[in-house]
Amino acid sequence: MSTMIAIGAAIAVLTGIGAGIGIGIATSKATEAVARQPEADGKITKILLLGAALAEATAIYGFVVALLIIILLG
Amino acid sequence: MGNLAENLMEELQCETVFSIGGIGISESVVVTWIIMAVVLIACLLATRRLKVENPGRGQLLLEFAVSWIQNLCGGFIGEEGKRYAPYLTSVLIYLGIANLIGILGFKPPTKDLNVTAALAIMSIVLIQYAGIHKKGVKGWLKSFTEPVAIVAPINILELVIKPLSLCMRLFGNVLGAFVIMKLIESVMPVFLPVVFSAYFDLFDGLIQAYVFVFLTGLFIKEAIE
Repeated sequence: MSTMIAIGAAIAVLTGIGAGIGIGIATSKATEAVARQPEADGKITKILLLGAALAEATAIYGFVVALLIIILLG
Repeated sequence: MGNLAENLMEELQCETVFSIGGIGISESVVVTWIIMAVVLIACLLATRRLKVENPGRGQLLLEFAVSWIQNLCGGFIGEEGKRYAPYLTSVLIYLGIANLIGILGFKPPTKDLNVTAALAIMSIVLIQYAGIHKKGVKGWLKSFTEPVAIVAPINILELVIKPLSLCMRLFGNVLGAFVIMKLIESVMPVFLPVVFSAYFDLFDGLIQAYVFVFLTGLFIKEAIE
């Protein structure tokens, strides 16, 4: 039983993949944008941080779900 | 590792410190009271002896800080939603202090799911109130059927999804940062935690406070459009 719970929690944490890809794409685009327009640096950084924090949320949901699985079932 | 799991379970549970007339007062409430007291005293001390003519250095700094934070929050909701800016400002200040208070050895109140849930419910009530205030009850009901009538169930579902996502985002981030810090401490207790603490405790806490207020502002702006 505990093995199944561990596997379930591990599957829930796979949401991190999406957040990783999302933040990667956002950062690559931000780098391009800064290379094209270095003077808009501050604004781009602000938007990038915000976007990264929003993209990170999916990973956080996965983490919370995994934690709930372990706590409620384990 | 078994010890760590027990530790985490202990941290997740919200202890009741004392009770008033059968109502349990949990640790997060007490820490919130401490934050309230500190902010209140800071406000009273900072606003003493304000002058219109030739203000002192402290007053200039205070005015700068106040206008900066007001512009930050006012920028989210635009000109029309100016009347909701004070709420966003107070939530931002509270969340910022609450996320950083872990450094001083207090238990961050945002690590308690009830606190973030309460904040999220306050936000969704304010968002809907803003919609009703702007459009009237009829227009507010009608806004559920926009852009087409068939998406109405999804729009009603959003009433639950929005606060749930706000609440879980804040709670998960603070708890996640806490768990990772515990893991790092158990692997290497010397130098490494200092470096990561700068990110997880300082930077991440402030970013999440900002994101919470930003999203609330965005939803209000959406509601009054």
